[in-house]
Amino acid sequence: MKILCDRQQLQEAFTVVGGIPPLKTPKPVIQSVLMDATADGVTLYATDLEISAKVPVDAVKVAEPGRTLLPARETSALLRELSDPTLTLSGQEGRTTIDAGTGSFVLVSNDPSQFPAEPEFKQGVEVEVPVREFLDMIRRTSFAAAREETRYAINGLLLELKDGGARLIGTDGRRLALCYTEHGGDAQNSRVVIPIRALQALSKAVSDESSEPLRISISSNQIRFALDGTELISQLLDNRFPEYEQVIPKAADSTIEIEREHLEKNLRRVAILSSGEVRMVRFKFEGSEVKLSAESSGIGRADLSMGIELNGPGGSISFNPDFLLDALKVSDRELVRIDMTDDSTPAKFTLGDSYTYILMPISGS
Amino acid sequence: MIRVLPPEVVNQIAAGEVVERPFSVVKELVENSLDAGATRVTVELRDGGRESIRISDDGGGFTPADLELAFVSHATSKLGSLADLDHIASLGFRGEALASIGSIARVTIRSRRADADEGFEITCEGGAIGPVRPCGCPPGTVIEVRDVFFNTPARRRFLRTARAERARIEDLLARLALARLDVDFTLVADDREVLRLPAGESLADRVGRAFGSALVEHLVEVEVRWDEYAARGLVGTPDAARRDATLSLLYVNGRFTKDRSTAMAVRQAYREFLMPGQQPVYFLELSLPPDEVDVNVHPTKSEVRFLQGRRACGILHEAVTSGLRQASAAPKRGGGAIAASPDKPRAQAGFPELPRDLFGAGGAQSLDPLPKSGAKLVDSSGPSAVRDAALAAQGGASTPSAAEPAAGHVAETGFDDGPFGGLQERRFLQVLDCYLVFETDDGMVVVDQHALHERVLYERFSKRHAARGAVPVQNLLVPEVLELAPSDKAWLLDQQEVLADEGLRIEDFGGRSIAIHGVPALLGRIAPRVLIETLLRADGEDEARPRAREIVAERFHSMACRAAIMSGDRLRETEIRELLAEARELDHPHNCPHGRPTVLTFSQEELERFFRRRVP
Repeated sequence: MKILCDRQQLQEAFTVVGGIPPLKTPKPVIQSVLMDATADGVTLYATDLEISAKVPVDAVKVAEPGRTLLPARETSALLRELSDPTLTLSGQEGRTTIDAGTGSFVLVSNDPSQFPAEPEFKQGVEVEVPVREFLDMIRRTSFAAAREETRYAINGLLLELKDGGARLIGTDGRRLALCYTEHGGDAQNSRVVIPIRALQALSKAVSDESSEPLRISISSNQIRFALDGTELISQLLDNRFPEYEQVIPKAADSTIEIEREHLEKNLRRVAILSSGEVRMVRFKFEGSEVKLSAESSGIGRADLSMGIELNGPGGSISFNPDFLLDALKVSDRELVRIDMTDDSTPAKFTLGDSYTYILMPISGS
Repeated sequence: MIRVLPPEVVNQIAAGEVVERPFSVVKELVENSLDAGATRVTVELRDGGRESIRISDDGGGFTPADLELAFVSHATSKLGSLADLDHIASLGFRGEALASIGSIARVTIRSRRADADEGFEITCEGGAIGPVRPCGCPPGTVIEVRDVFFNTPARRRFLRTARAERARIEDLLARLALARLDVDFTLVADDREVLRLPAGESLADRVGRAFGSALVEHLVEVEVRWDEYAARGLVGTPDAARRDATLSLLYVNGRFTKDRSTAMAVRQAYREFLMPGQQPVYFLELSLPPDEVDVNVHPTKSEVRFLQGRRACGILHEAVTSGLRQASAAPKRGGGAIAASPDKPRAQAGFPELPRDLFGAGGAQSLDPLPKSGAKLVDSSGPSAVRDAALAAQGGASTPSAAEPAAGHVAETGFDDGPFGGLQERRFLQVLDCYLVFETDDGMVVVDQHALHERVLYERFSKRHAARGAVPVQNLLVPEVLELAPSDKAWLLDQQEVLADEGLRIEDFGGRSIAIHGVPALLGRIAPRVLIETLLRADGEDEARPRAREIVAERFHSMACRAAIMSGDRLRETEIRELLAEARELDHPHNCPHGRPTVLTFSQEELERFFRRRVP
């Protein structure tokens, strides 16, 4: 194999796949990235046996087709440090040489035939969604997913296709984030849990400036995302996911409208004094204002109030400020709507036209 | 053909329950002597009791009429009717012992009442009872048991070596003797005096004589009284802990017992002071009205049942806690332990002992009761306000139900700033990012900063916990359902209210499941499942989980403080100084919550001994 390529283009392609090879594995061959040069062009392919990604490299000239394995860590570091505009890569048996103007680097390569083959993807439900919106949905829901080992969907988000809409939902049992978008494609309903890692890799792999829609295909145990020649396939998680619809309050005693940016800033200020071991900020909705207060034993307390529009009796409710800030900072709405009843039932935050956040209060204080 | 067994056989079978080995013979007979009001008991063994056991006492003695019935089953002078069973104050009462022993050995009893002119004797060989005959003997009773199990060879084969049997008997006698300081005990084995415990000595002296004087250095005297209940005795500090439980001794109304629930209460009090696998040392007596305890549960009488089990456990727990508090508060002085056990090899001790004089005047063999170094350390300690605060904290820590004597005792012991007094002004050397080495007026002190940090955080959490109102609960949006073993589930549901107080809300979810609805906000980052698993974790003897509230509080606190400490964090000097300042106010400064020591003291004397400047 021998190719001539643009360093920057290769580097960009490498960042898409470079994060996938695992740092530790009993199967060292997958710590490499497979470069496949054919008459049609060059692709990079990486896998950790659960998630795999394939990305085309632009601006290359293939002098000699063939395949070679590039050690992922060293190659991406090299591409980052080199400043030459073009590079020549040639693979002979057992090694790959990168020739740059500044010098040449020889990397020991495993035998490409040892590399796991691309997973076979069986066609299933097929939909198209606007890529920018889908990336926003990932950003607005993934923080709410469970990171520790709970019973539900460890490190996974639920993707639900239903009645022409796609919902992405993350929950860790204390809060739940839900985003919605309309999709074009099959009318068939589907409900799958996707590893967060796969969605993070997707966020890195595709550009939100693409004019093309993101194509999502779901088979019984895999999901495939495709855009502009880049393809990412992930195993699905078989975790149980809670019946999220039951969790979303249907009615509330009080409805509050509040300025998002203002709330976010004030919450940050007050939260400074809830830095003890229990993170907790109390909201007291009354008349046309909300009083925010926090206390940290042995450190101090904070009291602050801001204007709101309240419909209903109002009342007191306490939240972990971090849980609320996580969501406020990824919202782009000017006015946030809060539906609440009391300090032991979930509160619903409407943070966007298609962004809902449910947060369970802290009680007993 | 079914027939009624002849009485000899019945006795032989019953003997199997009461008399397992020479040890059991000694136990039964010495208990009889004590019940007969003896002030002096001598046990003589030949070949570990396999050849003969001779027990002589100066007790009340038998009348000839008593002697006739001595070997008859269920004949006893100690119990007249069923109603008396409620008021048992004597050690033996079932009337089985002599009959059982008589059925498996050759026994001679010679006895003379103090007011009688002559004595009488009777023999029994393998159940064949001879006539009562007059004989010459001093007042009291001598019972000679020869050829144990001569007629039950199967059992005889199971006897262990003379040495092993003797060791068990020596242990037994020491155990019995601890409950009766007014009685003189002697053990003679093959004509050599093995143990001599004179009457009238203190409990500490007797423990020293029976189990070694070095042990006494690590014991604290305790006494707690709750109305008619009293717990008193000696409590071992964490330094006295052993691998086995042979010195975890509990007496109920003068009777040695292995009751599990009370032993558990004691262990619970030791919980955060011992490392896994360590067993505490204690010699405790629980006194309560005889009708509130049932000792008739088992033939060997080592199990008892309490009418108010919780109260019995509570007072023992309180006694141990007060003892450990005293031990932590007592000033540390160099030299004591070394001087008392000059030949103890250091290497075997694992880590250097913390020399301590715990008793003041209480009978410990402190050779140098107030060395100048101790006084100096107190002088250099901070303002008296700090000490007052520490004192107040101590007072506040004892439960309101703790009665006067315990509190008074603690106050008498006196306080200084514990092992950390004065350290924070001194220069130190930080070693391996973990240990702090200080020079003191009398040598050096090494502090494990991480262990200390954990202890400081732990007490901070606990104090805040004690002062808190309701615990903030992070409710769960989706209840987490856990499947559990039936016993675990039952225990958790029994503790539902306790758990709710601590911020863990659970409900029965049918079948083998429970649903978790809320977790303590303090531990909001820990998965609910992990919280439950931590609670259910059984550490060996913990299955009975006697004090749920404490387990819950303690485990949650230790999780919280572990979450707060990054192990291997390098502390800056100012942080270390603050830590040391806070350490002076600790209730239990000597150990981290997991039982590891926080501080080791090397006195000048010890250092000189290490470097062979001083000959032992």
